[in-house]
This record gives sequence, structure tokens and C-alpha cells, in this order.
Amino acid sequence: MATLAPGVPTGPYHAVLDHIHPEPTSFIRKYIFSIDAKVIGIQYMITGGIFFIIAGLLAEVIRTQLLSPNGAIVSAATYNSIYSMHGSAMVWFVVIPLLTGAFGNFVMPMQIGARDVAFPWLNLVAFWIFPVAGVILFSSFLLGAPDAGWTEYPPISLQGPPGTNLWCVAVFLVGISSTMTGINFLVTIFKMRAPGMTFTRMPLFVWAQFATTPLLFIATTALGAALAALFMERVFGVPFYNPALGGSPILWQHMFWFYSHPAVYIMIIPGFGIISEVLPTFARKPIFGYKMIAFSSVAIALLSFSVWAHHMFTSGMVPWLQLPFMIITMVIAIPTGIKIFSWMATLWGGSINWKTPALYATGFLITFTYGGLTGFFLAAVPADYHEHGTYFVVAHFHYVLYGGSIMSMFAGIYYWWPKMTGKMYNETLGQIQFWLTFIGFNATFTPMHWLGLLGMPRRVPNYDPQYTFWNQFASISSYVMAIGTVLFFYILLDSLRRGKPAGPNPWGARTLEWMISSPPPYYNYKKIPAVLAAPYDFGNPLPYLGLDAAPGATEATPTSVSHPVPSH
Amino acid sequence: MAVAAAAHGEHHDGHDDIIYRETRDMRLMGFVLFLVSDVVLFSSYIFAYIYLRDSVPVWPPNVGGHQLPRLDTAFAAFNSVVLFGSGVTMHYALENWKHANRGRFNLFMLLTIVLGLGFLGGQAYEYAHAQIGGWSGNIFGASFFTLTGMHGGHVFVGVCFLIALWIQTSRGVYTQDKYFGLTAGTLYWHFVDVIWVVLFFLFYLW
Repeated sequence: MATLAPGVPTGPYHAVLDHIHPEPTSFIRKYIFSIDAKVIGIQYMITGGIFFIIAGLLAEVIRTQLLSPNGAIVSAATYNSIYSMHGSAMVWFVVIPLLTGAFGNFVMPMQIGARDVAFPWLNLVAFWIFPVAGVILFSSFLLGAPDAGWTEYPPISLQGPPGTNLWCVAVFLVGISSTMTGINFLVTIFKMRAPGMTFTRMPLFVWAQFATTPLLFIATTALGAALAALFMERVFGVPFYNPALGGSPILWQHMFWFYSHPAVYIMIIPGFGIISEVLPTFARKPIFGYKMIAFSSVAIALLSFSVWAHHMFTSGMVPWLQLPFMIITMVIAIPTGIKIFSWMATLWGGSINWKTPALYATGFLITFTYGGLTGFFLAAVPADYHEHGTYFVVAHFHYVLYGGSIMSMFAGIYYWWPKMTGKMYNETLGQIQFWLTFIGFNATFTPMHWLGLLGMPRRVPNYDPQYTFWNQFASISSYVMAIGTVLFFYILLDSLRRGKPAGPNPWGARTLEWMISSPPPYYNYKKIPAVLAAPYDFGNPLPYLGLDAAPGATEATPTSVSHPVPSH
Repeated sequence: MAVAAAAHGEHHDGHDDIIYRETRDMRLMGFVLFLVSDVVLFSSYIFAYIYLRDSVPVWPPNVGGHQLPRLDTAFAAFNSVVLFGSGVTMHYALENWKHANRGRFNLFMLLTIVLGLGFLGGQAYEYAHAQIGGWSGNIFGASFFTLTGMHGGHVFVGVCFLIALWIQTSRGVYTQDKYFGLTAGTLYWHFVDVIWVVLFFLFYLW
């Protein structure tokens, strides 16, 4: 069995991996309807990137409207549609598909030493649902786009324009795509790890994807049910939510948030995974608290199913239920805090190589912690009564979604870009881009906390003149962010055109994907490697056996008894 | 991708069985996870039903001064027996397949499909005679027709699934040792049965 290093006991599955499928040759099968997880990951990234630009432009319309208290760039009705579509697109068509579909597909199979995901064809279908759903979503502008916010609370959404139906269909479809991806990833991680890669030797990004999968195929289905009911009520008049017919608007809120609170962890746990890869690589140190970081992802995922009603403290829910929801919400701060402190301890005493991914990962630590702390305020029932529905909420979730998810994605794209393309990006421009984004972001959203505490409600096209200064400040800062985003896409295009060859492992990282050439071959690994230890022990020999290493990558040798030979 | 290799029937070094076993395990896990997400779909509407039911003082609800009747429990009980019977016959169909008893396998598959269709017919009869104001009339109709309709849709898909499997077996797709499709079909069928137990309790006994 030539697949594995001599002397490595194997599981039955790995004994038959000599056969490598030939790469498809036609353009369509190679780049359009590919079943290669790496290609699908990049397809997700391009599609999500396009939706990111559209949704970002919508955000700039919002900020431009708010430049003056009586802004009249768009009508009040259009304004409602624009922020609704901005939120819907960013949540379901940018952050979730990018963090799971794009990074998960590109990185995860390589990191566990597999050649593809468990069900490549399912992966293909899951991807192609996503752009179709995106087109349906944005075509709702033609019929009158949904105007009740991304949460689409009835009864307003029941009276919304016809485009709301398309919104239901689009989000439902993208939910099906997420469900497929979740099932696919969980089976992949369970069944297709390289021999010797026990659960506690998996890279932390894989742990993060692992913790996210149940949220994808359990919570998303609940959203599908809620959306289908909204659709039935709007189209066929079936009473679920309309109080006039005996339905309950609160029912929607329960069903929606039962999904959408776990969804915020779908949007951040893979980001945690990216940060856990980037920080040790650039601090040149073993990650601090490997197991704690791994298990806390699972703890967050489990807890996330029992906190949804903290979005509904002011909705008239049963008062005695408020206390448990408040407490469990606050309990989530414990696993999250464990992660934050572990990352800080990873940086502590490291010889930090301040490349762009490291800057983004450190920026993430600051902004995400800030967003987590304001979340604590919102979880406290008495404070929430005051802050609910104000700009404080807007500031909070942009700090976790932009300062958390998007910053971690920037880190991840800069980090894995050389692996995806085989080319380096322009480091100087990358660092300028980081500072534009970091400063622009904080200057845009920090004042919103103050606006919220001063009483400015969210989702309004015009506002009281007393809020003018900070709104203008935020709007102008948002243009700085926009410049940063434009520069980001320029950097990527520039790298594609003129980038220097990256080589297999430009960062000196130790996870498996860096052991093969960049971009990786179709089959990832000619021989499936055997894994001897977790990948973060910087300074020790690489813990892999039997790699058919790329030119320039080091072949590992077992050196000590602390690296036992794996027994599958 | 040994997985895909197995799916395409490419065999190497006599490891065919190993590949099959590994792929089967993966497919089985994927299929069970799909059923889990389907459970959540039903649970969401069951939650909605309980929530709406809890929001009115009496059940069945009073709509515009008119007290809605209860559903016909006796008929539904009979129909349930039909569905559970099909679960039993499905079990025996799979057992007979494992023991290479093709005649009995065919008999039990036929019985399962007939009983499944019988259940659907019973449900259609019940829909035609339920006096609860239709799907879009009130919250009782909305939750009842949505949940049982979704279940009926699953039964219908299940019947199609079984027919497709039966055609597959007659074409020799499955062998005595390799019959993942039949396992999946049986699992799906039992899953639909179990959902019905819950729905029967919620709508007819509660």
C-alpha cells in the first residue's frame, strides 16, 4: 500500500487511496460545474464578493441619506427597502456563505488531509442554489423590495410589497444550501480525516467548522419553516401571524430568532477558527489553550440554541422567562472570553510578524471584544428596555458582524490568498487597506453607540437635528471604509496580475494545506499523510508522515516518543 | 476520492468491500442528518401549533361565535393503523431482502406501497370531510392542514421513493450485501411513521 508511509497502521478506508481521479479537462466541468471543493470554495468567494459589493453600496446609500437630518437622497419608502435588503444580503448572501461555503470548502478538506468533501455532488448543488437565490433576492427590487427590515416582523411584512414573496423564496433557498453544506461538512469531518488525525489533533479552523455544522442543518430548517409559513400567509392567506385571524406576530419572532440567534454564531465561529489559525502562525508560537478553544466553540454552539428570546425582551413575552434567557445569554460570554484570553496569551511573548493577516486578527480581537461587551449590555433586561430599537443595537451588531465576521474574513483571505492563487499580494497596500478599514470602521460605528444612548431610533430616514454631528461623522467615516474596500479588490486584482509567486508555504504555517503546492493540485494529496500531533508546535519538526511534499516543503521525520505513531 | 471511485464501480486490489462499507457509512450518516433536519422542520410547525393553541381560551377555537368541532378520532385511528401496518411490512421487506427471499420481498414491498397509498386516500377523505373551516380559514385549519399536509407530502415522497427502489431492485442494482438504498428507504418510511405518532397525539387525542 504505497499510499501511506511505511509502518503506519491504517484504517480500511485509507488503504485504497492509491487511485487518483483524473482531473476534468473541459472548462465547464473544471470551473463552472466543478465537484472539486477548492473550486467550489473559490466560486462561493467570488459570488459572495459580488453580493458584498452590492450590499455595501446599499449601506453607502443609507449613510448618504443620513448625512443631513432631512436627507432626501431616497424616499422614506425606498429607504426601508434599502436597509432591509442591505441586512438580508449581508447576513444570508455574504457572511454565512463566505464563512462556511467559501472558507469551509477551500480550507477544511485540505486541513484534514482529504481529497474532497464527503458528497462532492451535493456540494455542487449547494453552491449553485446560492447565486440563483441571490438573483431572486435582488430581483425583488423590480417588484418592490421587502421593507420590514431583515427580520421582516409581521404584521408589517404581511402588508409589505410583492417583493417580500421573492425575499421568502430567496432566503429559503439559501437556507437549503446551508443545510446541505452543514450535513456535508459534518460527515466529511467525521469520516474523512487522515489517519492519526484524532479530534484533538484537528486544526482549530476544522473544529470551528465542526461546531458550526449542527447550527447549519438544525437551526436553518427552523428558519425555513418560519419563511414558508410567512409565504403561505402572504400568498394563500393561511393565518399564522396575522392577529386579526387569530395568529400571533410573536410566533414569527420565536421561530425567526430560534434560527437567527444560532445564525449569529454561524457567522462568527468559523471566524474564530480563522483567527486561531492566523495568530499562532504570525506569533510563531503554539496556540495557547488548544483544547479550550476547540471545546468552547462547541459550547457556544450548544448554548446558542437556548438564548433566542433575548431579542424579544420588549415584545411582550412572558416575564418570568426573561431571567433565564438573560442569564444563559450572559453565560455565553464565558466560552467567548476563554477564546479571547487564549488568543491574547498566544500573542503574549511571541515574535509577532506584523503582516496583514496578523493585523486583521489583532484588530478582530479589539473590535470583536468591544462588540461582545455591548452585547452584554443588551442582554441585561433593564438596559435592553432602554436600548432596544436604537442605534445602540445597530452599533453592537456591526461591531460583531463587521468587526468580528468581516474582519476575520479579511484576515482569512489575506492568509489563504497565496494558497488559492499561488501569488503574493502587495504587503504595503494590504497594510494600508487594513488601517483604512480599521479606522473607518471604528469611526463609523463607535458614534452609533452614543446616538443610540441619546435615543436615536434605528431604521429612520430622517432624524432630530440634535443627532446631526455624529451622523455626519459616521457617514464620512463610512466613505473611508468604502475606499478601503475598493482598495481591497484592487489589491486582489493586482496580485492576480503582478503578484510574486508565493511558494507552498509563505507564512511558515504548519497545518496540512501548506505542505502542498500553491495552488494545490486537483487531488490535494498524492499520498494521504499520517498525522502525529496537533499542528501548532512551532519549533518542533512537522508532525506528518508520508507526505508527498511539494518542492520547498519539508518532509517530516518522527523524532520523539511524544509523537506516537498513529493508530488510525 | 475513493468515494467517487466506489460510486463509479471502479475496484482496486479487491478492496471493493472496504470502499463500499466506508461509502455506506458516510451516506448513512448524511441521510440520518438529513432526517434530523427534517425533524426540526416538523418541530417548528408543532411549536407553532402549540403556541397558537395556547393563545386561545378553548380548543378547537371559537371562530366568529361558531365553535369548531373536534376531528374524527375514530377514522384517524383506523388510518393510523394502516400507516403503522405499512411500517411493519416495510420492516419485513428489508428482512427478506437480507435473507435473499425475493418473492416475499416483492410481496411486502407491494403491501407497503398499497398501505401507504391507502393512508393517503384516507387522508384525502378526511380532508374532504373535516368541518374546521379549511386551510386558510382559522388557526386550527392552518396548523392542521399545514402539518398533516406536510406529513402527507412526506408519505407521498416516500411512496415514490419505494417505487423507485423497487424498480432499482428489479434492475439488479442492489445485492444481498449491498443495499444502502433499501436501508435509506426503510429509515425514511419509519421516520414518517414516527412523525405521525406525534401528530396523531397532538391533533386527535389532545
